[in-house]
Amino acid sequence: MNPKLDSAQLGVAVRISRIDWDRMSHDEGRRLREFGLMEGIEVTPLHRGSLFSRDPLALAIGRMQVIIRARQAAMIEVAPTAP
Amino acid sequence: MTAAIPTIALVGNPNAGKSSLFNALTGARQKIANYPGVTVERKAGHASFADGRPMSLVDLPGSYSLTPASPDEAVTRDVVLGRQAGERRPDALVVVVDAANLDNHLCFALELIALGLPTVVALNMLDLAERDGLTLDPAILSRELGVPVVPTVAVRKRGLTDLLAAVDGAILSHQTQATVQSAPPPSDAALHQRARAIARAATLSENPVRRWTQRVDAVLLHPVAGFLILLALMFVMFQGVYAWSEAPIGWIEGGVGALQGAVDIALPDGFLRGLIIEGILGGVGSVIVFLPQILILFLFILLLEATGYMTRAAFLMDGIMAKVGLSGRGFIPLLSSFACAVPGIMATRAIPDAKDRLTTILIAPLMTCSARLPVYTLIIGAFIPNTNVGGSPVGLQGLVLFGLYLSGIVGALVVALVLRRTVAKGTAAGFMMEMPRYQWPRLRDVGIALWQRAWIFLRRAGTIIFVTTIALWLLLSYPKVPTDSSESQVDYSVAGRIASGLEVVVAPIGFNHDIALALIPAMAAREVAVSALATANAIEAGDDEEAMAQSLSERLQGRWSIATALAFLAWFVFAPQCISTIAITRRETNGWKWPLFMVGYLFALAYAAAGITYWTAVAFGLG
Repeated sequence: MNPKLDSAQLGVAVRISRIDWDRMSHDEGRRLREFGLMEGIEVTPLHRGSLFSRDPLALAIGRMQVIIRARQAAMIEVAPTAP
Repeated sequence: MTAAIPTIALVGNPNAGKSSLFNALTGARQKIANYPGVTVERKAGHASFADGRPMSLVDLPGSYSLTPASPDEAVTRDVVLGRQAGERRPDALVVVVDAANLDNHLCFALELIALGLPTVVALNMLDLAERDGLTLDPAILSRELGVPVVPTVAVRKRGLTDLLAAVDGAILSHQTQATVQSAPPPSDAALHQRARAIARAATLSENPVRRWTQRVDAVLLHPVAGFLILLALMFVMFQGVYAWSEAPIGWIEGGVGALQGAVDIALPDGFLRGLIIEGILGGVGSVIVFLPQILILFLFILLLEATGYMTRAAFLMDGIMAKVGLSGRGFIPLLSSFACAVPGIMATRAIPDAKDRLTTILIAPLMTCSARLPVYTLIIGAFIPNTNVGGSPVGLQGLVLFGLYLSGIVGALVVALVLRRTVAKGTAAGFMMEMPRYQWPRLRDVGIALWQRAWIFLRRAGTIIFVTTIALWLLLSYPKVPTDSSESQVDYSVAGRIASGLEVVVAPIGFNHDIALALIPAMAAREVAVSALATANAIEAGDDEEAMAQSLSERLQGRWSIATALAFLAWFVFAPQCISTIAITRRETNGWKWPLFMVGYLFALAYAAAGITYWTAVAFGLG
């Protein structure tokens, strides 16, 4: 089983290898793509949750930062970036 | 075609700086209305080309694409496609993109360019991009996109003349050229690939993302420290509302007093003098006095939004909100509801999930809106001593106010939890949003927004509050009590008799005749409770000079017990007393079912909370 974005280490860039589009609602999937979250893209998880929860997750994509929930991050498979 | 005033639409992603550009182009000459049939705000204004020809500008809601995910985005799509009822298709588009985020913003720009309307791209916030170490070539971007690209810095008004000239040129050349038929829309992935390729081509040099935003975020989004900072900010905000408003409130009170004195001298004793001094100046004046506090609260909220902190707050709050079945997205409408529930409820349109949105609408009135402030301020000022807590710099009055705000919040979270398990049951809500970069707030933009809020408040004071105050004054003044009666004028009047009927219902929770009297007109707007008390008091005082000299809070101290005052505060934490809120809920939920539900549950909570407060206080000997 490949590592998923929801458990990826903070501050370390990873490459999205696969996204389980089928498990997402149509709107969820579309919003992810609008944020530029797609296969082959590099993202860096930056912050996770606050005092009472490990949700949500803030990511850097290029020069943009976006927030998603751990539930969606769990549908995103990641691989280490090429050195 | 050339005779008509051209309409130019500003369109682009959220956080592209569209509103600043709109403000820079139109100044304060803006009209805010709603699109017919939907509750999406339509912002329009006027500007002129270099040679003086006028144009009309429309600021469309921020969108990510032409496939809408919310009612706001649907309006954007319909307007640019010419499908929006009552709105002419724009003659040209200004696509606003954030220079530092081309990868993403060019996707929507490409979609818009493909529509074939005369289009100009505003390469906005170029200064911030340069500060971030990004060097772009607008000429390459223009060649790749096939439309003019004009670098702009809306905040500094840079590039505006060039932008308008380019728009003018685009409209002209469009008329002489045949429209290019666009290819079928490409897939998301292809669009993104193309956007990234263009962004790469136009980028001459690029430093790694500047670290300082991340350093600030490391503190402000820290799981513990960030949360404490958020709480501290909220606390400072509510203390500030009190501390900084003292002086301006004094000026307003002085001004109203001087006017009353002038009228007293100028007019002979009679109906008109009574109406103006007691009814109009006494009633409206007692509400206007809260303008400073409302403006301070709005100033805080606007600054938090303008700096980009509000999204951080949403991020920090999402964990807690998720526990009661809401999302961090709900935090922004709920925080706006601290100013007023009406814009708060309208802001829930950004919440994609229907049940999440419904729950947020239903709990929005529990956030302490600014209309409650007059009531809280009056009662706290009259009954809570103005001391500091145990020698600390924390004022007791401010602390009580903070407690009232907190009760509303806790109440809202509990209600949300119950609703999400009963009437608004549904799957866990999602939370996806873009985190804007930090920015210095633009004084001009904050100023314009603040002025718009102040104007809305003053208009309310001049209309709803003015009319209810006069109606109440008439109901309180007639019929005149016979000179040989032992009853007071207020008890003898029409309003007094209605209040006596209501008093039977609210007496068990410690409410007296004064309060019963104030509750009825407070349905129109909560702050009217204060002017109602003021008007009733002025009439009661009549020509008794000693009573006239007393302030409203001094009079209340003599008439109410502390238990009653506390119960009155508790009532206002929950009571659904504003017709505008009920009306906007009906409009946003398309029917009477949910507003009626909301009114019912809020009255029940208010009655229970006031009762429990009163009985507890009496048990502690404060009755």
